[in-house]
Amino acid sequence: MALRMAIDRRRLLRGGGSLAASFGVLGARAHAADAPLRFALTPVLLTSDLVMLEALKDYLARAMGRPVQLVSRRTYQEITALLVTRQVDAAWICGYPFVAYRKELALVAVPVWRGKPLYQSYLIGRAGQKADNLADLAGTVHAFSDPDSNSGYLVTCAALAEMGQSPGRFFSHFFYTYGHRNVVRAVATGLAVGGSVDGYVYDVLREAEPALCADTRVILKSELLGFPPIACPAAEAQSPTIMQLREALITMPNDQRGRDVLAMLRLDGFSNEPPELFDGIARKMDLVRGVPP
Amino acid sequence: MMLRRLPLTARVPLIVTLFMVAVSVFTSERVLTRLAETQERHIQALADAYVDGLALALVDSIIREDVWQVFDVLDRSREKSGDIRPTETIVAGPDDFVIASSKPLDIPSHVRVPARYVAPIRENGRIAVDENEKKAYLRRDVRYESLRIGSIYAALDIAPLLAERRSVLWVLLLTNALLTIALAGAAWFIMRRMMRPITLLTGYLERSHTGAVTSIPDEIVAQVPRDHRPAFGAYNRLASAVADREALSARLAEEERLASLGRLASGMAHEINNPLGGLFNAIDTLKRHGADRHTRNVTLDLVDRGLKGIRDVVRVALVTYRAERDQRHLSRSDIDDLKRLVAPEASRLGVLLEWQNELTDTVGIPATIVRQILLNLALNACQATPRGSCAAISIAETLVSVVIRVEDRGPGMPASAIAMLIGGGDRPAPIGQGTGLGLWMTNRLVRELGGSISVAAGAEGGTVVTVTLPRRKEREFAHVA
Repeated sequence: MALRMAIDRRRLLRGGGSLAASFGVLGARAHAADAPLRFALTPVLLTSDLVMLEALKDYLARAMGRPVQLVSRRTYQEITALLVTRQVDAAWICGYPFVAYRKELALVAVPVWRGKPLYQSYLIGRAGQKADNLADLAGTVHAFSDPDSNSGYLVTCAALAEMGQSPGRFFSHFFYTYGHRNVVRAVATGLAVGGSVDGYVYDVLREAEPALCADTRVILKSELLGFPPIACPAAEAQSPTIMQLREALITMPNDQRGRDVLAMLRLDGFSNEPPELFDGIARKMDLVRGVPP
Repeated sequence: MMLRRLPLTARVPLIVTLFMVAVSVFTSERVLTRLAETQERHIQALADAYVDGLALALVDSIIREDVWQVFDVLDRSREKSGDIRPTETIVAGPDDFVIASSKPLDIPSHVRVPARYVAPIRENGRIAVDENEKKAYLRRDVRYESLRIGSIYAALDIAPLLAERRSVLWVLLLTNALLTIALAGAAWFIMRRMMRPITLLTGYLERSHTGAVTSIPDEIVAQVPRDHRPAFGAYNRLASAVADREALSARLAEEERLASLGRLASGMAHEINNPLGGLFNAIDTLKRHGADRHTRNVTLDLVDRGLKGIRDVVRVALVTYRAERDQRHLSRSDIDDLKRLVAPEASRLGVLLEWQNELTDTVGIPATIVRQILLNLALNACQATPRGSCAAISIAETLVSVVIRVEDRGPGMPASAIAMLIGGGDRPAPIGQGTGLGLWMTNRLVRELGGSISVAAGAEGGTVVTVTLPRRKEREFAHVA
């Protein structure tokens, strides 16, 4: 069912206008020099970390010399729609929407974690549970993060596709929690037997909320894939605003406030990377699309 | 019934205890029932608030059967619950399959709602309390546009409420027990105080049965509660009346003794008077014919016999009334002396005395008392015997006793007189003349010596009174002497 919803959403986006109309308030804003930078964030991280959001906003505003407006939405889909329809100037999205809308979007910068612009997807289960690989989770209840998440959905679907399976057939039930932290909660409480989660978020959580992660363990780690990037509409890629934003992001480690934000995000910095960084994700998407649901 | 046999000082506290137990059982039952009702309303209100809040937040998620959203709401609402904590909450679809529960490990999604939730619930929205499991169960149907889209099941932990109920029960039990003990103690104390004058009065009354009737001192009466004073006053009046009566009896006995003494004295005077005339004649004869030797000798002989007779009478009187309680042994001469005392009265009444004294020597019995007994019985027999008849008096000794037998030829002793003579020692002294005071005194004297009296009809009519007096052992007697 969820997969069908994701496909519906894509058709909707290709159709364009109707969703854009629902975000009319943002769309009405003009691109004036003193107009605020509209920066959208997917619920990649701990959505509750308002202090971090405030610090990020503050840093960007100072670094760019203009006000910054942060835009949050519950799902990846909403954020992607805002970006594709250019209702926001830039957005921190997942690699999966980026490759899905490869033609409409351009990279601004890619976060660097543990020295690389790469991360992994984790397949997690309850601590003490007997499962060594994905096949052991057949017939169980599974928690996905978001149908537009690479690490929280696509990686597991691709692995299933290699086995000629789809989530609907492989798992007895599955559901979306719309947040990586929620996947950990769902597995820790037993609501789901297994879960697909962002490896970066999971490692940060294990450090920040050890109690939450105590009841879970990593069953399987995926290969390294492109870290969720900061993207902008392709048409705006060379605009001064985006140049300014890229500069602000890449020079973040040079500034104390920037370092504070990076410390909160547990990131090393941001780098300029080619779109080919996400080819691995693109291959998984193709693989999944070739398998019937 | 056993209760009746208990003394009042125990019975009243027991009744108080039983009453208090009944009262505390009743009040405890009422209090606990009311508490349970209040708590149930409290749980219902809290459960309603909790489930209502959930229902509002969950309508959309239930319609979409969104496992995560339902769980998320349940998980968050659990964190802020108050004193009565929902231990488990289940959200189910219209087919009663679980969408999500607050404890997915126990109650996973996509299974039927467990029977333990479904079974106890009778009515939608009404809590069902299971005291054994210390839980209250509730089911609330969730409706959307009048269509039932699902149900919320909640189990609430009511252990704190049950603990409160238990502690209230303990407080009630303890308070009532202390109150009961205090009241029973107070009842015992009060009853003992109330009963003390009665016990005192009973003691005096019981003592009067075995000994002297003594009145209760005024200072004790003054301490007695007002309610009991009339009873004490009445007792004291009774005691003084009894004392007066005994004093009167003693005086009458003395008077009777004096009266019999008077009769004896007049007899004695008669005895003395008889020879006196002869003596005066003899003196005249001596004055006129004293010169004649023969006459003189005859006359002096006459005077000598007359004076000897007077001397004997006087001696007997002296011996008899010399001392009140002379501990001298009874001897043969004592009985003979007594004959001389009784003889004048017998001759006055025209009664012939048959006197038989079989005593050989002194006997270990106080002489004075025996003489008093014999005197009373002999005088009584003389009075009972008609003129010209015979009264027989005998005294004999055996190895262990002295037996006095007095027989008259009278009409027979009346029953009241017999009773007076042989009745029990506690009989009061008869008051008034001719009521048998002499017999009553005889009875007392015989008892004093440890003897016995029997009364029988004589062979030729009349009455035979037999008194048996035990001889004392010589050593004991020597001590008495």
